[in-house]
Amino acid sequence: MAAAASVCWLRVRCRFCLPMMGWRADPCERAPSCSAALPKVEGADVTGSEEVVIPKRKTWDKVAVLQALASTVNRDTTAAPYAFQDDPYLIPTSSVESRSFLLAKKSGENAAKFIINSHPKYFQKDIAEPHIPCLMPEYFEAQIEDISEAALKERIKLRKVKASVDMFDQLLQAGTTVSLETTNSLLDLLCYYGDQEPSADYHFQQRERSEELEEATEENNEKSKKKAGPQFGVTWRAKNNAERIFALMPEKNAHSYCTMIRGMVKHRAPVQALNLYTELLNNRLPADVYTFNAVIEAKALMVNEKFEEKWNNILELLKQMVAQKVKPNLQTFNTILKCLRRFYAFGRLPALQTLREMKAVGIEPSLATYHYVIQLFYQHESSSKEAPLIIYDIMNEVMGKKFSPKDPDDDAFFQSAMRVCSSLRDLELAYQVHGLLNTGDNWKFIGPEQRRNFYYSKFFSLLCLMEQIDVTLKWYKDLIPSVFFPHSQTLIHLLQALDVASRLEVIPQIWKDSKEYGHTYRNDLKEEILMLMARDQHPPEVAFADCAADIKSTYENQDARQTAPDWPANSLNCIAVLFLRAGRTQEAWKMLGLFRKHNKIPRNELLNEFMDSAKASSSPAQAIEIVKLASAFSLPICEGLTQRVMADFAVSQEQREALGNLTALTSDSDSDSDISEGK
Amino acid sequence: MFPRVSAVLRLRPFSRLPSCSGGLEALAAAAALLGASRGTRRTKNNIQRYFGTNSVIYGKKDEQSIPTQEISKETESQDGVKENMKKDLLQIIKGMKVELSTVNVQTAKPPSRRQLKSLEATVGRPQRAPGGAPKERRESLSPELVAAASAVADSLPFDKQTTKSELLRQLQQHEEDSRAQKDGERPKISFSNIISDMKVARSATARVSTRPVHQIQFDEGSDGYVGQEKTIGLRKSLRKNIFKGKRLNIFDLKAVTEGAPEAETAPSLWDVEFAKQLAAVNEQPFQNGFEQMIQWTKEGKLWEFPINNEAGFDDDGSEFYEHIFLDKYLEDFPKQGPIRHFMELVTCGLSKNPYLSVKQKIEHIEWFKNYFNEKRDILKDSNIQFN
Repeated sequence: MAAAASVCWLRVRCRFCLPMMGWRADPCERAPSCSAALPKVEGADVTGSEEVVIPKRKTWDKVAVLQALASTVNRDTTAAPYAFQDDPYLIPTSSVESRSFLLAKKSGENAAKFIINSHPKYFQKDIAEPHIPCLMPEYFEAQIEDISEAALKERIKLRKVKASVDMFDQLLQAGTTVSLETTNSLLDLLCYYGDQEPSADYHFQQRERSEELEEATEENNEKSKKKAGPQFGVTWRAKNNAERIFALMPEKNAHSYCTMIRGMVKHRAPVQALNLYTELLNNRLPADVYTFNAVIEAKALMVNEKFEEKWNNILELLKQMVAQKVKPNLQTFNTILKCLRRFYAFGRLPALQTLREMKAVGIEPSLATYHYVIQLFYQHESSSKEAPLIIYDIMNEVMGKKFSPKDPDDDAFFQSAMRVCSSLRDLELAYQVHGLLNTGDNWKFIGPEQRRNFYYSKFFSLLCLMEQIDVTLKWYKDLIPSVFFPHSQTLIHLLQALDVASRLEVIPQIWKDSKEYGHTYRNDLKEEILMLMARDQHPPEVAFADCAADIKSTYENQDARQTAPDWPANSLNCIAVLFLRAGRTQEAWKMLGLFRKHNKIPRNELLNEFMDSAKASSSPAQAIEIVKLASAFSLPICEGLTQRVMADFAVSQEQREALGNLTALTSDSDSDSDISEGK
Repeated sequence: MFPRVSAVLRLRPFSRLPSCSGGLEALAAAAALLGASRGTRRTKNNIQRYFGTNSVIYGKKDEQSIPTQEISKETESQDGVKENMKKDLLQIIKGMKVELSTVNVQTAKPPSRRQLKSLEATVGRPQRAPGGAPKERRESLSPELVAAASAVADSLPFDKQTTKSELLRQLQQHEEDSRAQKDGERPKISFSNIISDMKVARSATARVSTRPVHQIQFDEGSDGYVGQEKTIGLRKSLRKNIFKGKRLNIFDLKAVTEGAPEAETAPSLWDVEFAKQLAAVNEQPFQNGFEQMIQWTKEGKLWEFPINNEAGFDDDGSEFYEHIFLDKYLEDFPKQGPIRHFMELVTCGLSKNPYLSVKQKIEHIEWFKNYFNEKRDILKDSNIQFN
């Protein structure tokens, strides 16, 4: 019945699409519940009753409904991203937490999978009806026990490197010849994994690649630790099984050579790869395009060669491709550009030529292509006059396009483009890049967590620097925290923007946010906030004092956490001033005590403000206390303060004497003042 | 706060760069340009345009300052070109007599004090130092031209020295213009220059539009607009240079696009892994619950939408009516009688049976047909008709 209802629904949809058509009963009528609705429709449309065009039955993709629904959901700017929605306690509030959240989630999944797959016999009960294959344990153990080519094939399919090699050896010893096809697929396996057992396929959804490290160094905080990828660090060993089996092969075809070359390049053995390539040429076998791509990379990997030599070698290879009638693909050009990146300034002209060649040949560049070009031209900022134009050209070219993944490096483009925008301080360009990111499904190319953070931090910092403050704050609300968690430096940029636009009243809110995003103990951020709040007089309705009290408490908590507590003098000054201005005299006086405790020197302006406050409450005792403090630190302002007390306050005789003593002591010697201070 | 202010300060000199740091040569060129336009109306737009041109010329000069000598020699060596140029120049000199006086008048009293100060500088400076720069430039002009210029100056009733230097400046300007046009055909040289200019203009205008505070520096907003339009135009004209220029010229379009398609082979391990890598490139965490459901659907963990009772029920693609309406298989049976009755009950039962496939149901009916065929004798005996 549900099926019938859905058919009915589809019909109704169709009718809306084709309002002019006469609606007649569908010959494949099989939904009785629909027939009730039909006569009425007929009555409405039958007037013409010429030819009836029966709309074709639509078959919908199984996820079409869900996709339609998903497209109606917009990002909630006030909430954490959907991926983080969980037990409220677990929802991450900082980038570190979000990372560990994702890792924890993934590792849980992996652990479960691992258990199920390593003990399949305990997970045989099939509770799902209809059967759901992906919930059942996968069999990773070879089923065929005897020694045969079929067994070898099975082991290759299961990617058991060592078992396959053993099986191959046993077959050879038994005198069986293994077919060329099977041997080639064995070679594929050995070459792809560099004769090492592949690590279990439970890699984290967002992998880190070695290249990321190069880029991460730009932002110091993002110095993520080197996480060895599954194949990272596997190098080609001479005389390994792949080479041995390759040598044993009675007949070799092009595929055998090609896969060997690719494996060697993949595992960084360019010299061997080039030798083998020569051998391939000598045997008059054709290489495929992937092999050429690999050999191009090998040429560029060669050490002890000049850039020019390498470039000529690459050109030579391309000519060979033409001669052998091998069609280049996107990877060919991307590989060239990727290699040219390492040529620094020398690579620029060849890179442009390569790009034009690509265009001329009709191969549409992918995002990775542009990424390589940008990297090549903007390696060192402002190093070339020619550089600033490239990005505009590229943006003009890619504006409004929708991309699909074509190269593993496609997800690095947005990050590098935004980096250039930031270094050029070009806001308009940044908006363009951001517009491109939000075109179609391009946002998916923003890459893993770190890249997204990098991109948005750069973007937001640029906004802070260049954009009007209202717009910046709008972006702030829009992006944080639903897209990324700000770095403390980002927040400092925002504070500076607020300062320039004199919108300091927002600061308490920013402080609240930064506490939430895990920057409670960032001293530079706290000092910046305090400095901005204390610098000028503000109307009392701005809740700066509360904010200051809050920051003070974080310093106190920090004392408890750390062995060597550190109260910067600036912060002490600022907090005290803020308390005074808010009329919270008691707390302000306590702050003065802290100066003594941590042996920090209060500023003159602060002491003057204290004197003002003492005068406002007309309390000579307090005034004298200030003078005492000043003399305790043997500050030069002490004299002035004393005179002020004498002039402004009604001082009793004793107090007057005490004051006289203090001034005398200060002028006497420092050591005396310390004693008189009498802790 | 401080970094921001410093950034602004850093940019401000940039915006003036074309006008004030252009060096004497550029200034002279600018002045000459001003002079050349007759009846100059000092509207803002006009001035802006001069600045734009000025900056471009400046950009050219920057690179040419070294090879100036060589280029002028080159021009001299080409006799035909020289002759033409000389004719042009003499014509212009003829036409200039009147204009020169206007130039003098105009420069004597700068029309509006409210204009940019740097403009004043451009107009004023060459007057103050007419000696230095023109003398140098005189070298690049041919001696005949210089002689002609001085002859014209002699014939005029004004201050001879001034007129002569004005004339020479004008000549210089024309030579420069023609050289600039000549250079325009060589994209490589002008390329980087224009880039540098473009960037300068760009950042300055960006500032103007975003920061009202700094508009004090520029009188009105329209300046920024004109400049922006200009840079966009420049950028568009340059875009060709990036994607359309010298290429490697190794591959042939036809060879790449046409050609025989490669023989289809089973994907090797390399292909499979590359596909996996590509799939991972735009893998992002789910944005909402529906996306998660899409993923589950793809993995087969979820009922497919629209909800369908036959989900997971694979019966060689047969439709439900084939399961239910089985009467058509009874044609070979008698139209009435006990066998018919019996068979109708069988089909009724079969149509309600969800466990058998259509094929099995048909086989079931076939079996009865064969059965009754075999028992034909008995049926006859019992007086039951079967076909």
